[in-house]
Amino acid sequence: MTRTAAVRLAALAVAAALWPCRSPAQITVDGATAAFRDDVHEAGGFTCASCHKVDAARQPRYDAMPRPSIAPMCARCHGDAAYMRKFAPQVRIDQYSQYLTSTHGKRMAAGEVRVATCIDCHGAHGVLRVSDPRSPVAPANVAATCGRCHADPARMTPFRRMDNPPADWAVSVHAAALLKRGDTSAPTCNSCHGSHGATPPGVTDVVNVCAQCHVREAQLFRASPKKDIFDALGQAECLACHSNHRIESPSDSFIGLGKGAVCAECHDETGESAATIRTMRGDLDRLSAGLSSADAVLTRAERAGMLVDEGRAALRDAREHQVQTRVLVHSFAAQPFGEAARLGIGSASRAQEDGEAAMRELQVRRRGLAVATLAILAFLVTLWLKIRRLPLGPQDSTRA
Amino acid sequence: MPSNAGRRDLLNWLLGIWGGGVVGSIAYPVARYLTPPDVPEASMQSVNAGSGRALPLNSGRIVPFGSQPVLLIRTSAGALRAFSATCTHLACTVQYRPDLERIWCACHDGQYDLNGRNVAGPPPRPLEGYDATEQGDDIVITRRS
Amino acid sequence: MYRRLREWLEDRLPLADLVDALRHKTVPHHRYSVWYYFGGMTLFLFGIQVGTGALLLLYYRPSAAEAYESVQFIVGRVPFGWLIRSIHVWSANLMVASAVAHFFSVLFLHAYRPPRDLTWMSGMVLLLLTLAFGFTGYLLPWNQVSFFATRVGTDIAASVPGIGEFIVRFMRGGKDVTGATLTRLFGFHVAILPGIAMLLVGLHLLLVQRHGMSTPPSVESRAAEDPSTIRTIPFLPHFLLRDLFAWTIVLALLAGLSTLYPWELGVKADPFAPAPAGIRPEWYFLWAFQTLKYVPPTVAGINGELLAVAAMGAAAAGAVLLPLFAGHNHGSRRIIVWIGTSALAFMAIMTWLSLKGGQP
Repeated sequence: MTRTAAVRLAALAVAAALWPCRSPAQITVDGATAAFRDDVHEAGGFTCASCHKVDAARQPRYDAMPRPSIAPMCARCHGDAAYMRKFAPQVRIDQYSQYLTSTHGKRMAAGEVRVATCIDCHGAHGVLRVSDPRSPVAPANVAATCGRCHADPARMTPFRRMDNPPADWAVSVHAAALLKRGDTSAPTCNSCHGSHGATPPGVTDVVNVCAQCHVREAQLFRASPKKDIFDALGQAECLACHSNHRIESPSDSFIGLGKGAVCAECHDETGESAATIRTMRGDLDRLSAGLSSADAVLTRAERAGMLVDEGRAALRDAREHQVQTRVLVHSFAAQPFGEAARLGIGSASRAQEDGEAAMRELQVRRRGLAVATLAILAFLVTLWLKIRRLPLGPQDSTRA
Repeated sequence: MPSNAGRRDLLNWLLGIWGGGVVGSIAYPVARYLTPPDVPEASMQSVNAGSGRALPLNSGRIVPFGSQPVLLIRTSAGALRAFSATCTHLACTVQYRPDLERIWCACHDGQYDLNGRNVAGPPPRPLEGYDATEQGDDIVITRRS
Repeated sequence: MYRRLREWLEDRLPLADLVDALRHKTVPHHRYSVWYYFGGMTLFLFGIQVGTGALLLLYYRPSAAEAYESVQFIVGRVPFGWLIRSIHVWSANLMVASAVAHFFSVLFLHAYRPPRDLTWMSGMVLLLLTLAFGFTGYLLPWNQVSFFATRVGTDIAASVPGIGEFIVRFMRGGKDVTGATLTRLFGFHVAILPGIAMLLVGLHLLLVQRHGMSTPPSVESRAAEDPSTIRTIPFLPHFLLRDLFAWTIVLALLAGLSTLYPWELGVKADPFAPAPAGIRPEWYFLWAFQTLKYVPPTVAGINGELLAVAAMGAAAAGAVLLPLFAGHNHGSRRIIVWIGTSALAFMAIMTWLSLKGGQP
């Protein structure tokens, strides 16, 4: 075996021992060189020697770095504002200081190497911009990148952490929005946990995180009686009803006192809130029923060839009110929830009325048809009688 | 027993009555069809949005355009703007915020500027623009081709 | 009062001669004479088309930006607009069916024989014009189905060698199907084709009056032995009242179909959207459409589609010129009946396969 080969094998062994987090860092020199061609650092004029120590006496050797030293090494450039200005004037330079506040950073500083550092998420030799869809930290790929450790029970158990969040997120409405619809405004792991300063939000802080996008619901919640109660109880807001990772489409059935309803997990039939809950659920059900009944009659009218523009506009209006009503649930009070529901039910019945008018018009047409057909039939019968009674029937052609 | 001639006359008379009925059931719809309806033409290209005086400076109003809502705005400089009121994010209906002088979507805090461009929040695309002009007292909104 | 009006008109117009001629006109009455009604039926339906078409013209707008909306307006806002529009479409379909029935009945009853060969040829051109009316009218509502069906249909013309490209550009008013196509086909549909059709119908009716109704050879040969087999009825009022009877039934049928099965608007045409699945032309073109699907890409080195289109063209030309080379003996007539039956069966089977959704 040649010396180079032995060195490479040693490097492999070292890498295997010191890199428990199987990062996309390419282990072989060839692999690393090939990947580096796409790297943003390569475009900036950096080389292998820029990061790796080189033993000047021998052929350049690219030692794998000890893991705790990686973040400070990256920060040498990425934390230097004057230096970064030369390459990307707008890029942030606080990643390392954020990292030090994160759970990953704190543990790494305490000597635990089995947590993430820069290269585990960004890659080592093929670092791409966040906006590049191939990058492991592009929005659509973030969950898979975090999931490499956080969905692996073997990695999570030593830290007494759950391994289900990435799988839970993957079935949430946010994952569907991001991955299926391509809506990059939908949150992924780093949207709520932070990227460099990744830490789960505190129990009383969850509402602030969700409020980044769900402004109205958060405002209502903060003004509602529940905020103080939850804070006093140490109950996590938002996720008490909606969960934190496995956020599925909420439904009207959340509200209620029966089995399976979310309110019923804390509330029961006694207490003043029971009446409010029952009223809210009743309003929501009436609204939902009004909408589906209006939609059904409008669709029937459209299939029969009638035009129901105004009905569809009213139905759209009613759906808007339904959205508002559902948002107003977060005020946990009878008004203005009741008012919004009332407006929605009103619009839905307008839509229903338009659809029914169209169906009535259809009946009018059919009755008109019946009348005309009767007149025609009477005419035909009389005509047939007349034809039969015509004086000359079929004549021989021999008779002129 | 009625004579042949009598029966023939009766038959002819009946034929005339029913024939008249048939002709009437053709003539009536045709006559109604020929009378122009109340709204004389398809308002699919433009819509009258009401009096210009009812729209003060720095305010907005939703106007139905067929079955779709359109947001009509008078800016604080007095210019008229009109956009599709359907948010390009998740199809909520947007509104005008006089305090921000922007178009705002209540659902997820999306914002558009007065040119319809999506400038904040989740909306991925600008709002479709319409032409709004004052014709006499009225404001007329027209679809851009 | 009525008599004074009549006298005034008779002094100026040859009304008396006309009524006299009609009074003397007789129509043969035999086991096949029910087929005589299809010519008049086609004319009646053409009259309905002209009437409802003129009414639609009052509200329809032939531009890509407004066509669909104007039809929507007619159907939704104009009183009885839904009725006029649905009658126009249903009557178009019935007219094609009636014209085809008229064509086959004349063929099988051998009414193309001299001196009625010019009547036959003018009638054949009228049949082709009827199909052209259907094709041009189909695009006018400017919905997805009709837009893509027109694109596919005009594409077929491209397979004609040499002038194919020109024919396509002529039909489309450009390279692609656009608003220009709509306006052009509209012009054909409401002005050019009706103009030609009126002339030919006039000629056709004149010739029918001149030569009277043809008696089928089988009836004629039986009459040679026994003259009493050819019986006739007077045109006025017997045949005309029976005609009226048939027309009234069709009128009731149209009213019923239009009210109970109104024609839908469809979705407005969007040239950039992908073609909806299952695009196909109107039912009377389905047999040709399906045949083209079955034809292999090349046949003995020649483009298959070209061959099929050429064959159909040759068949049409042969049909138009039939009287010029049809024999006058029993044997040749049997051949013609055979060819006609095979053609009818072929078209029926192809249409059925197309409706079934059969892909080769």
